[in-house]
Amino acid sequence: MNAAGAVAAGAPFALALLIGAAVLAATGFSPLDVYRLMLVEGFGGERRIAATLTAATPLLLTGLAAAVSFRAGAFNVGVEGCFFLGGLVAAVAGGRLAAPSWLIIPAALVLAAVIGALWMALPALLRTRLAVDEVVTTLMLNFIAIGIASWLVNGPLLARGSANSATPPILPAAELPRLLPPGALSAGFVLSLVLIALYGLWGPLTVGGFRSRMVGRNARFSRAVGIEPGGVVFSAMIASGALGGLAGGVHALGLVHRFVAGFSPGYGFTGVAIALLARNSALGVALVAILFGALSSAGANIQLFSDVPIEIVQILQGAVMIFAVAQFRGRRA
Amino acid sequence: MKVRIGARNLSKGFGPVVANDAVDFAAAPGTIHALVGGNGAGKSTLMRILQGVERPDAGEVILDDQPVRLAGPADAYARGVGMAPQEFMLSPQLTLLENLILGREPMRRGLIDERAALSAAEALAASAGVRLDWRMRAADAPAPVRQILGILRLLYRGADVLILDEPTAVLAPAQIAELLQLMRKLKREGRTILFISHKLEEVLAVADAVTVMRAGRVVLTTTPSQTTAATLAQAMVGETIEPPRLAARAAPSGEALLRARGFVGRDGLGVQRLGPIDLDIRAGEIVGVAGVGGNGQDELVACLAGLAAPAAGALSFAGADLGAASTAAFRAAGIGYVSADRAEEGLCQNASLADNFLAGREALFARAGVLNLAAVRRSARAALAALSVRYGRLSDSAATLSGGNQQRLVMARELDRAAKLLVAAQPTRGVDIAGAAFIHAALAAFRDRGGAALLVSEDLEELLALSDRVIAIYNGRFVGELRQGAATIDNVGRMMLGQMAA
Repeated sequence: MNAAGAVAAGAPFALALLIGAAVLAATGFSPLDVYRLMLVEGFGGERRIAATLTAATPLLLTGLAAAVSFRAGAFNVGVEGCFFLGGLVAAVAGGRLAAPSWLIIPAALVLAAVIGALWMALPALLRTRLAVDEVVTTLMLNFIAIGIASWLVNGPLLARGSANSATPPILPAAELPRLLPPGALSAGFVLSLVLIALYGLWGPLTVGGFRSRMVGRNARFSRAVGIEPGGVVFSAMIASGALGGLAGGVHALGLVHRFVAGFSPGYGFTGVAIALLARNSALGVALVAILFGALSSAGANIQLFSDVPIEIVQILQGAVMIFAVAQFRGRRA
Repeated sequence: MKVRIGARNLSKGFGPVVANDAVDFAAAPGTIHALVGGNGAGKSTLMRILQGVERPDAGEVILDDQPVRLAGPADAYARGVGMAPQEFMLSPQLTLLENLILGREPMRRGLIDERAALSAAEALAASAGVRLDWRMRAADAPAPVRQILGILRLLYRGADVLILDEPTAVLAPAQIAELLQLMRKLKREGRTILFISHKLEEVLAVADAVTVMRAGRVVLTTTPSQTTAATLAQAMVGETIEPPRLAARAAPSGEALLRARGFVGRDGLGVQRLGPIDLDIRAGEIVGVAGVGGNGQDELVACLAGLAAPAAGALSFAGADLGAASTAAFRAAGIGYVSADRAEEGLCQNASLADNFLAGREALFARAGVLNLAAVRRSARAALAALSVRYGRLSDSAATLSGGNQQRLVMARELDRAAKLLVAAQPTRGVDIAGAAFIHAALAAFRDRGGAALLVSEDLEELLALSDRVIAIYNGRFVGELRQGAATIDNVGRMMLGQMAA
């Protein structure tokens, strides 16, 4: 991300903070005090930073999943559905495969990625074979995926004797290692950063990264020079689905330790906003995801220590996304 | 002399680039004033200032003998100055009538008064001596209709100074004649026209006065009766450019490199536009295809570049069957392609020069999937230098290049691939004289190295200068073929219109 990109990504945050300040002032709070409190709650001290990074972990991966697809010009908004399915599959595998950690964790995560990739195969085929708009198909598939996962967790996979819609907890061996016990920050955070770093290298340095960039910028030109856009778009959507499924798997094994109804508060959609704000750059995805993580982590704490309702954080997040999308549309038009 | 529109000592810079340097010019009312110059000479900047889009850094715009400050395009319109841009912008889903009235709709009880709009449109068309199907969607309208609509829209808005930026660039010869006719008629009615063109014959045929610009300055102001095309061309480029003269030579013999038999092409809607035709192209020859736009050339080019599959027929290249091959396979076999749509298909405007150079060959510059970026930069520099592309840095986007340099970049990429056959469509459209001469020389050199080329162009002079043989295409069929030497503007022009060669 260059200087212009940083300004472009920062502008929606600045505007959102202004709107949040207006809302705070109108409801009788001092915006500066609240923002100072949020800053402290987000980044003040090792424990709070760990909480921010924990909250950022699923966003790092969903942001990456969206960026991989957007970069090739496929506006995949189906990461949310992949996240649910990946989480469910990983939780079931992690609960039933009695095996040592070195086997069970990779196996569960690979299964999560595979289900995400398979879930994207249909919209990817429709897009590349029949030119069906992927925005519509991937968006709708989210509801189907969430519906399937909710039904399974309320019926066939419901934990015995549980009143909640949840699978049984995963086996201890399937839990991702904690980085700072007893804090919740897991090895999933490191895995996410590694994948983002690999993406950052893949983009400018490899043939695949180059093709995906060219197809995303001008598919007609790419075709004329012999880069078949269909294959590139298809692979990008499948990779995006795999990363979305993996994100759910990491969330299940690293933090929730089971699958529950309402598994994701919209991580997949936040990932879309993150990729837009980051303009698909690796560094940008990492920074924006951590900022969003700080927002939600600080927001959860803030109402413990002040009268500020948690909704103010949701207003901030919503405003950032609106400005991010407005900016994106402006560039496309 | 009375001045309807002009400029006095006008200067405008963009960063370090001086686009207009103390420009003086004046157009009398009721005249056609032509403005010629190479790419980047400053014509477009001058027009944008006269239209109120850009503000001058120094100097002033003159309207009706008075210096004025234009607040913006709306102000210019209010003073009767309107411009039809080079790529005329239409809303494709709207009808021609709706495009005409867009932004100035006649209203009645809060709704658009269709009847009033139509009668105003018909009256305009009648006064201009043209007929349009006003219910046609803009997307379906051919290029000349769109150009005429662009002019009618200026008239509809009450402009009496019409700025026309290369209105003939995408028109065939017969359509150009019609457009020039319309311009003369508008002049007789007292309107003033600023006419930008690269084509000196048109300028000499229609203009009352000519201003030549080069590197941001006015270098010559004259009238057609006092000058010649050669003088104008020399003023434009600042030095004499030798037109490429291909020595007459024996026809290359031997096996055809490309062989098409019973070839049929359809357009995007499935309508048959091409064929059946047979075509042989040998190594070391340039085959020119002459035709009025829309007679099947687009389909021929798309099929031979591997962008569209032929509906029927066989195609072999260097002995291999390419009937159902992918675009990538066409390129791997050694077929290069210079697109007529440089802006969208020939280049990726928002990608860097290095990326544009690399595209399609990335696998050759990679080991185990990892690009050797140093090698890419080295080759890109060498290839761009070989075609004298003027650029800042390899990381600049292609959009920063002028039109002529963009096309050189395309040629650099396609020639650097060591193609055996180059499919070149309108390779010098919108390119200035010096740039066109350079591209012609590059094509001729490619042929002399044993390369084969299919050259599709609406510029007959270009076809005649470069082609070893010229094939005329009409209604999708090849209607005649003339060897170099036998082909003249006159007989090729007649063949293009479907009249068999005498």
